[in-house]
Amino acid sequence: MAVSVDEAVSTGSVRDHTPPARRFGGRGRSVLEVALLTVLAVVMLFPVLWMIETSIKENRDVYAIPAKFFHFTVTLDHFKDVFAAPGGGRSDLSVAFLNSLLVAGASTVLATVLGVPAAWAYSRFAVKAKKDQLFFILSTRFMPPVVVVIPIFLMYRDVGLIDSKLGLILIYAAYNVPFTIWMMKGFVDEVPAEYEDAAMLDGYTRLQAFRRFTLPLLLPGIAATAVFALIFSWNEFVFAIFLTSSDGVRTAPPAIAGLIGGTTVDWGLVAAASLVFALPVLVFAYLVRKHLVAGVTLGAVRR
Amino acid sequence: MRYPKRIRRLSVPRRTAQLATAAMLVATTMAACGQDDGADSSAPKAPATIPELTKDPLTLSFIWFDWPPAHALEDFANAEYAKERPNVTIKVNTVPNANWHDAMFTQFAAHKTDFDIPILDSQHIGEAVTNGNILDITDFVKKNIDVKAYNPYLLAAYGQFPQAETGKRDENASMYGLPLLGDTWTMIYRKDLIGDKPPQTWDQMISVAEKCQADHPGVSGLAFHQANGSDAAAVTYNTVNGVYGGNLWNAKERKIEGVLNDAAGQEAMDVLVNKMKPLTAKGSGNWFIDEVNATVAQGKACIAFNWIAASGGLLDPKQSTLGTTREQILDKLGFATLPSQKTNLVPLGGMGMHVSAYSSKANQAEALNFIKWFERADIQKKWAAAGGVPSRTDALASPEFLDAGPFNQVYADSVPRMRDMWNVPEYARLVDIENTNVNAALNGAKEPEDALDDIAKEQQGVLDSGSGKGGGGL
Amino acid sequence: MAFISPALLLLLAMSVFPLLWALYLSFTDYSATRGGPAHFVWFENYTAILTSAQVHTRALTTLIYVVGAVTLQTALGFSIAYLISRRTHGRGLLTTLFLVPMMLSPVVVGLFWRFMLDAQFGVINSMLDSLGLGQVEWLTQQRTALISLIVVDTWQWTPFIMLIALAGLTAVPKYLYEAASIDRASEWFRFRTITLPLVWPLLLIAVLFRAIEAFRLFDLVYILTSGGPGVSTETLSFHVYKVAFLGFNTGTASAYGILMVLVVIVLTQLYLRYLNKLKED
Repeated sequence: MAVSVDEAVSTGSVRDHTPPARRFGGRGRSVLEVALLTVLAVVMLFPVLWMIETSIKENRDVYAIPAKFFHFTVTLDHFKDVFAAPGGGRSDLSVAFLNSLLVAGASTVLATVLGVPAAWAYSRFAVKAKKDQLFFILSTRFMPPVVVVIPIFLMYRDVGLIDSKLGLILIYAAYNVPFTIWMMKGFVDEVPAEYEDAAMLDGYTRLQAFRRFTLPLLLPGIAATAVFALIFSWNEFVFAIFLTSSDGVRTAPPAIAGLIGGTTVDWGLVAAASLVFALPVLVFAYLVRKHLVAGVTLGAVRR
Repeated sequence: MRYPKRIRRLSVPRRTAQLATAAMLVATTMAACGQDDGADSSAPKAPATIPELTKDPLTLSFIWFDWPPAHALEDFANAEYAKERPNVTIKVNTVPNANWHDAMFTQFAAHKTDFDIPILDSQHIGEAVTNGNILDITDFVKKNIDVKAYNPYLLAAYGQFPQAETGKRDENASMYGLPLLGDTWTMIYRKDLIGDKPPQTWDQMISVAEKCQADHPGVSGLAFHQANGSDAAAVTYNTVNGVYGGNLWNAKERKIEGVLNDAAGQEAMDVLVNKMKPLTAKGSGNWFIDEVNATVAQGKACIAFNWIAASGGLLDPKQSTLGTTREQILDKLGFATLPSQKTNLVPLGGMGMHVSAYSSKANQAEALNFIKWFERADIQKKWAAAGGVPSRTDALASPEFLDAGPFNQVYADSVPRMRDMWNVPEYARLVDIENTNVNAALNGAKEPEDALDDIAKEQQGVLDSGSGKGGGGL
Repeated sequence: MAFISPALLLLLAMSVFPLLWALYLSFTDYSATRGGPAHFVWFENYTAILTSAQVHTRALTTLIYVVGAVTLQTALGFSIAYLISRRTHGRGLLTTLFLVPMMLSPVVVGLFWRFMLDAQFGVINSMLDSLGLGQVEWLTQQRTALISLIVVDTWQWTPFIMLIALAGLTAVPKYLYEAASIDRASEWFRFRTITLPLVWPLLLIAVLFRAIEAFRLFDLVYILTSGGPGVSTETLSFHVYKVAFLGFNTGTASAYGILMVLVVIVLTQLYLRYLNKLKED
């Protein structure tokens, strides 16, 4: 208690001259705000906590009424089931995780390799109808996936890409290229073109100048952009469910969805699989926390 | 902070317009080329005798939805079929139940399948045959399968097209599949709550459930499928419709309107919505197989209806609060054939095996060989012992089958009482119309009479609509 | 341009070409499974869609959902951002924690909420029950099902609005407040005249993004309610899916999709124009 009083007093005094309204009832209001924030945080995080609890409960307790919050037997069986098949060997889920890893990874690499040079060019050179091109590029990202999947399906069947990892990689890359270009263009804009100009005066070609001087400065931006592309491909569901069907190709989201609709739902397994699946994304999101705003708005908003 | 760039009006320069036109022309020609390959839409024929089989390693792939029988099939086939064909591996690909039809038919539409043996729902056959997706195995069946060993309706339901009359088989009709897993609904009842004797008529069943619910607070009288996905709510209505003497359609005249919503159909809808639904748990309006099983396992229902093939999990003590051993659970749970009322019809479930028209010749030959092997008397008994539901009459009467599960006798007794839905190419849309409307009626989103009339009208519309008009499928 | 063309080529092949193909198919009665040549029906698909009562119902559902969800998450997201911006300690940690829902796959979100909202065994009803509030049929009543959909979407995407609003709030220059506090302006006045005008444009962009995403919602419906009860939570995207994959009416579905894309483009254009005007004023 003493600590919070101290804090309130000290912040109050320090901030006295630049106050967002600490003048009247400052403490009471501050307490109220903290309380409100705590309630909101609990509400927002409760589903995640419940997921963690469900993943370590025995199935018998999962359905208990009233719900068991504290007194249940802890088991790690569900996490074991995520990776190992009941009869030994690898589980279907773990195969799906590997597929997800490959598909998300490859599509991200492809989108980065194609997107970064394009972003650089859009930033540096006078391209004809640049704004139109950029808007067009962005607009391809806004099409409803359910709509896109129909012609993609027709196209894929003629070239034999249905139910193949390559098919998924290509469509995810195509979804991520607009994002990569928009996001990276912002990063390139921040690197003064003079660096490259100066290098060119020293006898480097434009490309060499880009590689030696601009690219190293762009690396953090590229990493952030790639992580967002990775998260999109990792979580994507609509294309995955309509374009793939065999266990060897299927990525994790449809595989997790497949856990319900059998004869009994193993909610513990669903929760464990969801957690294992979400963990890499959360870690990655934490790593790029500085660029989150730009990342979630396709680079339209930066700070 | 930078604000987003100002974006100019979307103007289409002339060059872009020209490009677009050109691209569209290309698209048009490509699309036109791409379509003709499907024009020949009668199913290709399988050879009468199985061609020579390969000695090289071969993977025979199935597609099914994710449920225990799919895993049982993979284990069983790999253990037993490998004894005869050591170079063959069996792979049963599984997709989410909600995606089952789409996953098979999108691949059929692609004219390239990653499976050799699709396990179609019995009503999918019409769509697959009309589009030429599966092999016509009429000659193969004549030469290799002892058709007299089966109840004729089972053969017809899982293989024949056009559809047979209920209970019969048309020996001149073409065959496109053979039975893999038989199934029907079983009534699951709590012996400790309503006594050892299961109710015999539908009315009795409702009054027993009513009393049980009143006597045992917290336990609901009934639990059954009500969801609007898959064929859940539709099968429920169809079952009640059959029991109360209704008909789904007049197959010869392709008439649904005036048939489905006749007096018997109306009565069935009234029984379902006004008598049965009030006895179910609150919020059970989206229940399907899983949820009904869960509520039984949690001891929250007096009487429940579920597919037999999906009932195995009920005996698993790990999922159940009814007992800590299988025996203890079986002291409380009874399994019986459905009660009858005006008729004794029960829904036909289960699936057959078919051969993809797009598999390689070697795989098609292997698939035919597998099917022939699977339908052998001794293998059918082994399949029964492994937890499957066979179709041959001798296997159904065998102790291997009858002793394998407490509900297997129910299946054997139900075989002569089965009725299936419409097996037509438009099945997916018919069942969706029925599902959504029955689900709406069960959840108070529509008046029951209106729902039934809407089903009849919309389904009739689907049957009557030909191609050549815009807006099909809305 | 050697640097741009590979990227544009991929987009042409994977976005433009399929879209043009869909445009062509939208004028025909083509079906992906039935095969056979496509017959031109010209605008019949379009008129059928635009006049269909079924489509109108879905459009209304989608509209209620988009407006409800976006309004709710904007209000909530902005409030959280405002509260966080007024804290001096633990801002980073708080922000990170609040962001978790947004990072989850829609599949995970849908499945798990379905479990929590289950009327019989769900934890939400269990808690309501112990508070003596009785059980709510979250997913099986017309109104509550749509509300549930809005609530779940709000749970997942409030962090999005929060994140962007926070970016705006923390960028408000301090000297503006100082000037205002010398004038002894009331807090509400300061909020209205300093904070809001500076955050507003950012917030509007966030709303645009959310509205577009919400308009094309599919996965959550597919998993949470599959459109039920009846068809009362079927969105436009879900309806397109049914037309495209249940009956394989590819022509109709293509026209339906093209119309949806048009709606997005036209509304976005109008909205952006409004934004630009706002900025000029």
